Amino acid sequence: MDTVEIRRVTKVFGDLTAVNDLTLNVPRGSVYGFIGPNGSGKTTTLRMIMNIYYPDTGSIRVFGEELHGTSTDRIGYMPEERGLYKRMKVRDILRFYGELKNGTDVKGEVDRWLEKFDLTDWANKKVEVLSKGMAQKVQFIGTVVSRPELVILDEPFTGLDPVNADVLREAVLELQAHGATVIFSTHDMNVAENMCDFILMIFKGRKVLDGTLSSIQDQYGSDTIRLRTDDGASALESIEGVERITNFGKMQELRMTAGYDPQKIVAEVMSRTRVHSFELARPSLNDIFVRIAGPEAREAEEASHA
Amino acid sequence: MLKVFRIAKREYLATVRTKGFIIGLVVAPLLFGGSALAMIIFENRVDTRDKVIAIVDRSGLVARTVVETAEARNVRTVYDEESGEKVGPAYLIEVIVPDDADLDAQRLELSERVRTNELHAFVEVGPGVLHPRGDPVGSRIDYYAKSAALDDLRSWVERPINGELRSLRLQETGADPVTHEDMFDWVSASPMGLVSLDPETGEIGVPRRSSEAEALIAPLVMPMLMFMMIMMGAVPLLNGVMEEKSQRIAEVVLGSAKPFEFMAGKVVGGLAVSLTAATVYIVAGVLAVRQMGLADYVPYHVLPWFFIYTLLAIVMLGALYAALGSVCNDPSEAQSLMLPGMIPVMIPMFVLVPVIKEPESTFATALSLFPFFTPILMLIRQTALETLPVWQPWAGVLGMLLFAMLMVWAGGRIFRMAILMQGTPPKLGNMLRWAIKG
Repeated sequence: MDTVEIRRVTKVFGDLTAVNDLTLNVPRGSVYGFIGPNGSGKTTTLRMIMNIYYPDTGSIRVFGEELHGTSTDRIGYMPEERGLYKRMKVRDILRFYGELKNGTDVKGEVDRWLEKFDLTDWANKKVEVLSKGMAQKVQFIGTVVSRPELVILDEPFTGLDPVNADVLREAVLELQAHGATVIFSTHDMNVAENMCDFILMIFKGRKVLDGTLSSIQDQYGSDTIRLRTDDGASALESIEGVERITNFGKMQELRMTAGYDPQKIVAEVMSRTRVHSFELARPSLNDIFVRIAGPEAREAEEASHA
Repeated sequence: MLKVFRIAKREYLATVRTKGFIIGLVVAPLLFGGSALAMIIFENRVDTRDKVIAIVDRSGLVARTVVETAEARNVRTVYDEESGEKVGPAYLIEVIVPDDADLDAQRLELSERVRTNELHAFVEVGPGVLHPRGDPVGSRIDYYAKSAALDDLRSWVERPINGELRSLRLQETGADPVTHEDMFDWVSASPMGLVSLDPETGEIGVPRRSSEAEALIAPLVMPMLMFMMIMMGAVPLLNGVMEEKSQRIAEVVLGSAKPFEFMAGKVVGGLAVSLTAATVYIVAGVLAVRQMGLADYVPYHVLPWFFIYTLLAIVMLGALYAALGSVCNDPSEAQSLMLPGMIPVMIPMFVLVPVIKEPESTFATALSLFPFFTPILMLIRQTALETLPVWQPWAGVLGMLLFAMLMVWAGGRIFRMAILMQGTPPKLGNMLRWAIKG
């Protein structure tokens, strides 16, 4: 059974269609990543799953039920902006959030998570003295202390240093290992690629990608060449069959015209400079994202409208 | 329901645990009671320096009496009989021979002496003072001092002068004031409370003398207390909700509770804060008043009503302020909504005095039946007026109950719409639309 089933949901705010005819199934026990540019409708979708907003049309079923008008204690939700009472002590606010969800053994869970996140020394400090990263970890704990079966995280990794991001990533995977379904939104394509069983991309309120990473990549085929050469990007200008060059500095990524023979391109590059490494690959999620939502795509869209 | 309770508990503890609440619990009554206390303290701390008063007696009839009366008074009141300590000023009368040739110069000279503090004041008694009806100008008694209008001595000096004048007038008719000592006795009308039957013994109660304290202070203390309860329990919800909205706490809480549960929890928390403070004040106040031997002044019959009104007022106004808070995005918006939001609480405070003086007037009755004003105004009328028709407080409570339900309903709808709506400035039109359309 799917934990979340979204059927043809549309949500309009005034003139803006925030979510447009979205259909989505989130399988139980999966980690589902929502990607998309700012303002594309990710947060609205998450809030609708949380039953904070109601869809204008369509239906959302969570745990097989429509939750219209009720709140559920089986979902943990971490909003994008941190919402903590500044003058409360860390332990008190975590217990409050846990008890508000009717969690069991909230005290024990709070202490366990505080220790796991290395925050035990801060348990009796007020929220206002925490750093941003610490507050974010506290917010995460507040989301999961009630042991929800579905965890929804809006931009959980934003603003965390690599060490804390790792701790959080492990925590999310641990939740999954214990049977929870996790949905999170992110701007970090690496995180989405590495952590998610499924990825949804929303662009301007519409679903543009949905599936496993490899199924998404398969839609684009192996049309990407990754190269390391002596001369870098300067040696790659105007090669026939190359649509686009993404320059990462030490490494360049070439996107081929569909159906073009990659061997010809390599031969051309080798005639110009010395090649250190060469890889024929499927496009990265980052590249796919840019293809859909990048400046080129926007220009193309504007041209088609004009 | 459990969630309402949990939100309320957090709200309650967050408020009650702060130093501000504990200090406020002590400071607020001090502020209200402090001025009264200060008056009592400073009343006993009179200036004990002797006061020299010059009297220019152009009638030649009264100066001697004034001097004698002052001397008699000085013997009686200046020194404490037991300790011998000086407890008040002596009045020293200096008799000045009137300079009829140049009255103005004499007045100037005496005024200068008052300015240099050599004299406290000077009194000029007109030549025709014995028979003032025929001579309004020549019969004046003029009291010259730095703040003559407020000076207690002015009324003191009137008494011996007029006493002597009456005595002289009587003598002219041939009566002897010495044999008719009670000629000028004055009997005041005592203010009495109404007599009632003792419900236990069935006996007719002993008439009780009522005082200004009873007539004014008791009816004033209760509405002041009610005002404080509203300020403590309901008004802070405006800023509280605004903060929860602007700091995105609302979104977290709404992930766990329905908007109505959230708002109800806030209101119940505010109510608990008010009832805590009310209980502390009432218990402490009643104990203090009984300690002072003024137990008769405690309006016990009003106390249950006080708690009923507090409960309904906090629910009614709490829902209003929570809804107002939910439409604000930042403190400045909350600030600008605070003033119009306070109007329902301020109006009853503005009309306190007319309502206390005439609690039975149509004006007082009508205002006290308006739900927003009922908690304060009906309370005053119940304290001040024993004969208030029984239906009126009940009608007030019914009105408040209906209004509280309306406020909670409409406030809940506004709250639900506005609490997640960032960046939309508060507009009356929006609020009405949300309240009506949902």
